Amino acid sequence: MNQNLSLSRRAWLQKTGFGFGAIAASDLLSAVELPHEAAPLAVREPHFPARAKRVIHLFMNGGPSQIDTFDPKPGLAKLDGKPLPDSVLNALQNVQKGRAGTIWASPFKFFKHGQSGLEISELYPHVAKHADDLCVIRSMQGNVANHSPGLLLMNCGHEVLPRPSIGSWALYGLGTDSEDLPGYVVLMPSGMPTAQSRNWTSAFLPGVYQGTHIETDAKGSELIPHLTRSDIRPGTQRSQLALTQFLNRRHSNRRPGDERLDSRIHSMELAFRMQSAATDAFDVSKEPESIREMYGDSAVGRNLLMARRLAERGVRYIQCYHGAGQPWDNHSGLLPRIKALTQESDQPIAALLSDLKNRGMLEDTLVVWGGEMGRTSTIQTGPKKVEQYGRDHHVDGFTIWMAGAGVRGGTVYGQTDELGLSIAENPVHVHDLHATILHQLGFDHKRLTYRYSGRDFRLTDVHGRVVHELLA
Amino acid sequence: MRSDFNLPLFGLLAISLTGWGGMALGAPIAKSKDSDFFERHIRPIFVSHCYECHSEAEKEQKGGLLLDRESGWLEGGETGKAVVPGNAAASLLITAVRRADEDTAMPPKHPLSAQEVKLLEQWVAKGAPGPAADMGETEFSRLGDQDYIFGKAKDHWAFQPVDPVEPPIASDPAWNHNAIDRFIFSKLGNEGIAPSPTADQGVLTRRLSYDLTGLPPTRAMFALPITELVTQLIDSPRFGEHFARMWLDVSRYADTASTYRPDTKTPHYYPFAFTYRDYVIAAFNEDKPFDQFIREQLAADLMGFPEDAPELAALGFIGNSPIRSMSPDFVDDVIDTTTRGFLGLTAACSRCHDHKFEPIPTADYYALYGVFSSVEHPEPWDVDAYPVIRGYEPTPEQAADYQQKRQAIAKKIREAGNTKKKGNNRSVAEAIEQTTLAELLLTNDGAPARAMAVRERPKPVEPIVFLRGDPGMRGERVPRRFLKILDPDQTPFSAENSGRLDLANRIADPENPLTARVFVNRVWGVLMGSHLVGTPSDFGLQGIPPSHPELLDWLAADFVANGWSLKHLVRSIVDSQAYQQSSLPRPELATSDPENHLLARANAKRLQIEELRDSLLAVSGQLDLRMRGRSGELWGENYSPRRSIYGYINRFNLDPTLRNFDFPTPMQSQEKRTESIVAPQALFAMNSPFMIGQAQRLVERLSFSNAQTREERVNAIFDHVFHRKAEPGEQERIAKFLNLEEGRKVDPWPLLAQALLMSNEFLYVD
Repeated sequence: MNQNLSLSRRAWLQKTGFGFGAIAASDLLSAVELPHEAAPLAVREPHFPARAKRVIHLFMNGGPSQIDTFDPKPGLAKLDGKPLPDSVLNALQNVQKGRAGTIWASPFKFFKHGQSGLEISELYPHVAKHADDLCVIRSMQGNVANHSPGLLLMNCGHEVLPRPSIGSWALYGLGTDSEDLPGYVVLMPSGMPTAQSRNWTSAFLPGVYQGTHIETDAKGSELIPHLTRSDIRPGTQRSQLALTQFLNRRHSNRRPGDERLDSRIHSMELAFRMQSAATDAFDVSKEPESIREMYGDSAVGRNLLMARRLAERGVRYIQCYHGAGQPWDNHSGLLPRIKALTQESDQPIAALLSDLKNRGMLEDTLVVWGGEMGRTSTIQTGPKKVEQYGRDHHVDGFTIWMAGAGVRGGTVYGQTDELGLSIAENPVHVHDLHATILHQLGFDHKRLTYRYSGRDFRLTDVHGRVVHELLA
Repeated sequence: MRSDFNLPLFGLLAISLTGWGGMALGAPIAKSKDSDFFERHIRPIFVSHCYECHSEAEKEQKGGLLLDRESGWLEGGETGKAVVPGNAAASLLITAVRRADEDTAMPPKHPLSAQEVKLLEQWVAKGAPGPAADMGETEFSRLGDQDYIFGKAKDHWAFQPVDPVEPPIASDPAWNHNAIDRFIFSKLGNEGIAPSPTADQGVLTRRLSYDLTGLPPTRAMFALPITELVTQLIDSPRFGEHFARMWLDVSRYADTASTYRPDTKTPHYYPFAFTYRDYVIAAFNEDKPFDQFIREQLAADLMGFPEDAPELAALGFIGNSPIRSMSPDFVDDVIDTTTRGFLGLTAACSRCHDHKFEPIPTADYYALYGVFSSVEHPEPWDVDAYPVIRGYEPTPEQAADYQQKRQAIAKKIREAGNTKKKGNNRSVAEAIEQTTLAELLLTNDGAPARAMAVRERPKPVEPIVFLRGDPGMRGERVPRRFLKILDPDQTPFSAENSGRLDLANRIADPENPLTARVFVNRVWGVLMGSHLVGTPSDFGLQGIPPSHPELLDWLAADFVANGWSLKHLVRSIVDSQAYQQSSLPRPELATSDPENHLLARANAKRLQIEELRDSLLAVSGQLDLRMRGRSGELWGENYSPRRSIYGYINRFNLDPTLRNFDFPTPMQSQEKRTESIVAPQALFAMNSPFMIGQAQRLVERLSFSNAQTREERVNAIFDHVFHRKAEPGEQERIAKFLNLEEGRKVDPWPLLAQALLMSNEFLYVD
């Protein structure tokens, strides 16, 4: 167990860690500091004061085209329709070679927005209104231009080996503030992204740090396994639980000093409360109509509104996938698809940013937008109608943006070359992004470690650098 | 190729770190005012530009280079000396800051100013004087220094021969007839702590039943004298089923690979994994000598068994890897599982560089790499590559049912021919083979049972070190052989085959200091609720030292002397007074030994998820004790009422209930389970259909035939769940509950039964 993480006594007294919730005042005197293993979710102090108390990661799974959204390449206009020079072609990864043919300038217009004059394409008109909050990284770098390795690298820091996801690390490091909810939630309208649950695995970290995958189009009671039972009334269940707790207290009174027994008594109370609290948290119909309208009555809208409700309730790490599989994987038919995808996500994302800001939550909520990679500036396959054009996978210079929680708004960091096919300036590897996110959560990424199988593992392995230039 | 900003300084050319421990330290170069030069001009440059990656203060030595001490740059990193005093042209550090070559240019992002480069050149020309107060070699600078680590390992307890000491004589005669007790008692005596009294017979009966079989006791067991009970439990087939779970955690057992088909969203099934699970159960039930158990798991195919021998299923230890295909990651997984599982050594850390902490150079890793890359690990759908084994002969009806379904699928495959679905570059036939057919093989008892075996390649691999773990970067040749720390002579394995049998013999050698110690520690942990060595799969320099080293050695020696018998080992532990103590917490121990390292009392244990599930099925009368065969569903409408060890484990998408109850992810070998207490566990108890269903069945089963009064009914349920009558205070409280709920027109009896099943008394074992 990591020695660097102190379980602060004060934080411990304010929150229990047996899952979700607060200790009753009468229990404070008997509260004992349990080791990390026994109270895995107790609130812990990070290495230094955190700017971000929580993260909302908007995952555009499939790999959104940066060329058409956040990385304008005006120089491509004069090269449009020309083949790629061999020298460039040969530098591409094998998965792309032979598929990346002709240069295709973005057909979408870019405009300057806000005081910062940040350039955003016409596909994201609502998001563009938040230009001054966005810190756009145009020089993101991954390792392998494919979905599963890209997703696993982005989420877990390694494209192949089973490693804990960043949300698991955050939960392991910080514990959870949420009274009655899981500390790490993965939302999507329905289904699973590519690589499925490996994206939110806790790997060798204890299972409690695993993300809880929730399909937000499902009904409230189906969102969390065994959340409620419908065959008896709550009053009857309460009286049944009271009987169990009566037996439990007699049992533990005869074994004074075994803290596990008391912990379990608490955890049953918390579970009981969670039944209604979680159902409530996931019920977006409880929002005022104005708010629901702001997000829009759509799958992504509901998803993001739920994310805000969870953030408000102290959930530490929230990921929102756009949809099942890899919707942003536009190898063909990019034009109609990216229009639909941005239309689906534009208003909800803008609404989330406004909503967080109005509540004062953008101050300490880190919002991250992006996919597991980007796309090429070339047409993937041979001559077709323009509606059928697509772009291939690309990891050397794709775009991610962050907002809130102490990142520098209205800025662009890093540049791609004029073809948009490699990084010209200030590369930010995914490991660096991880180091920076952990930094905002209050951690030195080199010291947030877990001893397993004979060595201290960390999210960034032997890599990673905090990109201070992104921070205000 | 990634840009260079993450690549370690001087990290591109060589890998071996061996050989720099013996270098002369602090070579006599003129100091005093030259140190001033370093402190005034050079250290500031290093602080601003280099120490982030090359200093102990930042806990970084990328490429093995430190620039915070003289020995750091004199010895240099993985590419050699960084500085040749007096010779700037020959100093890699100068070459790097001059940025002549893009690959070695340093610092990676921000070039030094011309002025800074000039200062560094001057400094080298002056003889590169070091700091005034040079820190010299530290633990940090010696990370990965194999000569130094081997030196330390010479004195490390786990590498010493098992040298059994005569157990000390205990002053209390009750603690003197079992050697284990004499060790425990004398250590307690040294600390001035008294042991706890023997637990009540009822408590002991329940404890033994769970610890030896993983099931709750039957009523008849409470009447047996303890020694007879132990015999009965050890002889029960439930014994092997229970201890097999311990080993399946180590051997990362599952019924699928860690990957899935993206088009069909189905895992890559391992339809024959179950034969390995059955092999382990049978081995423990038959008390197969552990050394033989080792050999069969690593090399059954090389031991002369007939080609349909059940022992071939042992090779599932290798074949049931999370990595489906033959690849460096598969070999890595097998090296890891073998070395941590049997030896408590973390050899897989040496894949990319010499081990930072343990005496395991990269060459050792590739010596074993040669062994396990010399096998063929067929894809799971290459069914015929897996040998059919005896012992699973189906009934004629089962066989006919299978044949009929098999032929129907074969027809579909034939019809599919080479077709592909639109937008999918995988063939339809292949999809059917890997989904429908694999699912049939996975579930149908009429399908021939096969060993998940590996087999020899025609020609064994002559291993070559992969620099930085990259198969494209070839280093030195190494023979297939055992680990240097355990075989200083480095005797090569057989030239004729992979060397797996040689490896197994080395591991199972009674002289091997680790094997027996590691295994007895695992068994001790299961029975006592805590391990003698708290890191059961890491006995290396980084592991936790044993709490009772002499006892560990005595157990290991006794285990080997008694034919590597698990049953002998288990019996000698549970016969001890130490095991049979009361688990009641004692206030004075809370301060003197809060974690109970000294074992002044027994540890109360929480049921593991398998034990909990089996217990629920047992009390509800549903438990089906059929052994062997294909895995069934653990939960859901069609759950299998068989023991949980026979449950289907989807490695790719691990069941959330298992996960919530600390079932270890079978992605890697697991040394022990965590024990968390979280709300989702309580939700399972309160709301899961499985729990509710078992409570209902329990009430139906009791049917209250002899119970006339309400109190008698309550007692009947108590007796069944808790093996005791309800106390008056409990009767009173329960009467209130029954009245209240009956007043609400609710049938309270199943709810009462569930209330008991949710309780701590049911979940914890004293």
